[in-house]
Amino acid sequence: MSGPGPPEPGPGPAVEGYLAEVTARLPGPARARTGIVAELRSGLLDATDAHRSAGLPPAQAAVAAIREFGDPVQVAVSFRAEIAAGQARRVAVTLLVTGPLVGLLWIATAAASHLGVRLALPWPWTGQSAGLSVSFYLVAVAAGVTAWAAIFGIATTGRLTRWLPARPRRAPMAAAVAGFGAVSADGLGLALLATQLAVAPERLSPVPAAAAAAASLVRMMLARHAARRCLAIRASLT
Amino acid sequence: MRAETLKGHLDGILLAVLEPGPRHGYAIMEALRIRSGGQVDLPTGTVYPALHRLERAGLVQASWSADGGRRRRVYELTPAGRRALDGERSTWRDFSTAVTALLQPAPPAVSTS
Repeated sequence: MSGPGPPEPGPGPAVEGYLAEVTARLPGPARARTGIVAELRSGLLDATDAHRSAGLPPAQAAVAAIREFGDPVQVAVSFRAEIAAGQARRVAVTLLVTGPLVGLLWIATAAASHLGVRLALPWPWTGQSAGLSVSFYLVAVAAGVTAWAAIFGIATTGRLTRWLPARPRRAPMAAAVAGFGAVSADGLGLALLATQLAVAPERLSPVPAAAAAAASLVRMMLARHAARRCLAIRASLT
Repeated sequence: MRAETLKGHLDGILLAVLEPGPRHGYAIMEALRIRSGGQVDLPTGTVYPALHRLERAGLVQASWSADGGRRRRVYELTPAGRRALDGERSTWRDFSTAVTALLQPAPPAVSTS
């Protein structure tokens, strides 16, 4: 499947004006809008051709095509839910994929460093302070919330759409929860690292610690940005 | 027929129009008009978001094609879309049979006293 490609030349000012009115009311990234506008443009040109074949002069044919397409505000509003679902899905997938990667970096850091943490099966870990236990527990909760919210967001924007009642605001909310969950998990990880640096920096293995910290910092900023965008697009849905 | 009247049935109607073979957005609109004898005349612009929703649900799949120099997004039914269409058909048959029976003038009540 290829992309929409460059627009056909010369669709006429009336058609372009209509498309501009739709575009102005579409939320989300330009990438999502490009395909929609290209599809509407080709549809408007097909409609114009049909009216010309029926005997209308070019300018009137374009006006008739636009009338047939209906209120540009209504067209944009009905597309908003689709854009929101697409954005929520992308955010949720990204969080679900990057979560285990960042988690592995932190596990590698813990394994390579001499933190006095030993895994004594079955559970719990031995040789750690109560504060550390609580922090690990909080990280696990934040990571769990992120994963479940992301899975929910992915499920409700895909095949399940067939059977679920249409609630366009549901998926952006799930993606936002997943995003803020990731911010919390990464933030807690960085706070733990900062504590360790303050208390006993010589015990940390510098390379995996730096890699984990960098990955968490980047993910935290991107997740926060994505979560806020999901909330914004959710607010634009009526 | 306005969009409100068709509410709840638009998905099935779009799937039915795609049953004979792949079509692009405007061809779908023309097929809707022709097959309904001009009774269905939706604002064309609102059919596109509905098609995108069906695509997300995995009932249709879309691809860009360049036919005669104009690039169009062409939709076709997926196997799941065919199954969903069968479901819509039998639901509609049951519903219309029941409503037709209910809307028929009732025979005059027979007094049994």
